[in-house]
Amino acid sequence: MAIVSAFLVPASPLPYVQRDNPPWGRLADGMDAAGVALAKSNPDTIVIYSTGWFAVLDQLWQMRPHLQGVHVDHNWHEYGDLPFDITIDTELTQAAIDGANETGIKSKGVDYDQFPIDTGTIVASNFLNADNRLPLLNTSNNLYHDWALTEQLGNVVAKQAVKLGRKIAVVAVGGLSGSFYRQSINIADDRISSEQDDAWNRKMLALIEAGDSVAMLAQCPDYAKQAKVDMGFKHMAFIKGALGDQLSGGKVHAYEPVYGAGAGVIEFSV
Amino acid sequence: MSKGEIVAGYLAPHPPHLVYGENPPQNEARSKGGWEQLRWAYERARVTLEELKPDVLLVHSPHWITEQGHHFLGVEKLSGKSVDPIFPNLFRYRFDLNVDVELAEACCAEASALGLDAKMMRNPKFRVDYGTITTLHMMRPQWDIPVVGISANNSPYYLKMEEGLEEMDRLGKATRKAIEKTGRRAVLLASNTLCHYHFREEPAIPEDMTQEHPETYEGYLWDMRMIELLRKGEVDEVFRLLPQFIEESFAEIKSGAFTWMFAAMGYPKIPGELHGYGTVIGTGNAVMEWNLVKAGLAQPYQAEVA
Repeated sequence: MAIVSAFLVPASPLPYVQRDNPPWGRLADGMDAAGVALAKSNPDTIVIYSTGWFAVLDQLWQMRPHLQGVHVDHNWHEYGDLPFDITIDTELTQAAIDGANETGIKSKGVDYDQFPIDTGTIVASNFLNADNRLPLLNTSNNLYHDWALTEQLGNVVAKQAVKLGRKIAVVAVGGLSGSFYRQSINIADDRISSEQDDAWNRKMLALIEAGDSVAMLAQCPDYAKQAKVDMGFKHMAFIKGALGDQLSGGKVHAYEPVYGAGAGVIEFSV
Repeated sequence: MSKGEIVAGYLAPHPPHLVYGENPPQNEARSKGGWEQLRWAYERARVTLEELKPDVLLVHSPHWITEQGHHFLGVEKLSGKSVDPIFPNLFRYRFDLNVDVELAEACCAEASALGLDAKMMRNPKFRVDYGTITTLHMMRPQWDIPVVGISANNSPYYLKMEEGLEEMDRLGKATRKAIEKTGRRAVLLASNTLCHYHFREEPAIPEDMTQEHPETYEGYLWDMRMIELLRKGEVDEVFRLLPQFIEESFAEIKSGAFTWMFAAMGYPKIPGELHGYGTVIGTGNAVMEWNLVKAGLAQPYQAEVA
């Protein structure tokens, strides 16, 4: 088993750009704790699947060896910039592209100057790999891929890591309940926008902490629909695909609102 | 200050393939052409736009998606390299644009006054979305007219469609008020494709037109039906059918630009001029114009006398 650690983290930039706001600061603290745990697991490469990197034709994989710049989020631009400095494990990525194509998931690499890196990838990288010490494998969220295909992608990456002898940390980037406040709020008063969403988030997090992955996975379709979970909770499918039968439970480092939507920092047991 | 007015609205879709096919110096990718009929349609639109002599171009783009409210570009000069994340092989474009910040702020204020959540985008490092860039390039490649860029709040997707489009109607009315108050001579650009069913794989040679066709027959029939109604000026029927059109053809109209534009123009019951229609990776794209000057609903350009 190549996976030395696995995490599900939020895609929102708010904990990164404004951690002095208490609810977002607690998420940032959770991300810091996840970063410590990731470093301790001593991976060779960090695998990032991000719901915020949309693809509609092929499954896309980042193949530019080094990416650097400053990103401004399309929605949260008023809160600040997102600088980034990312190195890509092109060998593992190419192996994943080849492996995905072999399984029938049409894939290709992208290697373009100033290709738009999505907010979620940058935030995950900045918190979990702040010094750019480790290379990444970064892949997209194809909007037409369902849970099963996304799970297959995670599985492909894990298998290719085994073949290459790579130790990997798997990071799935995406939110929990998806009902943002549609109007401006006093950010200090941020909370999950509905009691139902909060109840659902807590239920799923409790199942994860209890180690009951069977029950947790069984709830995923209803959870995704009723709590309008970010991208149908496909980022959980990627984790499932990567960990396979090893998926059991985990630790919740933080659970907080991001402008009404739910966000969790979860470290899975491996 | 004399009262401003909207002099025309254009349905001006943004497939980056059109820029790619044209080979302008700003775009890194090189092609052997492609999508000529749609590019020639834009050439016709460019001629009429030149005649109108607008002070400003306002563009509502589905690829600047915002969750909190309707946002307006609010930095006077924005530049950078726009790379399409779906088609980076086709579109890597160096842009340099001027924003009419005063008008943008007026639009924002009027939108707020009508109960919409509205914000200004003030970060100078913001990368303008490729939808806005493509529409503006295809309409005015000289880049010599200031612009107002407007985001597509995702309310039609998040809320019920009708609720979301009602917000776009209010946004359009707010835009009109702002234009009138600031004395601008304005052209509106609705950056929307029609039927949005598309290929799942790109042809080996993107500009190989032997591979280009509507993705679905039903989507094509819907596009023709709506275009014909627009050509006849049957605007009420168009908007009555709009929800069904969106539902059955996956029309990008859902993102709101088309509704915004018509609401701003006051839903004029005038024939729209079709400059051309074509598909791009199967999606239906029409370049159409509602010239309010020709319809007698706006003033022709009067050169200022020194």
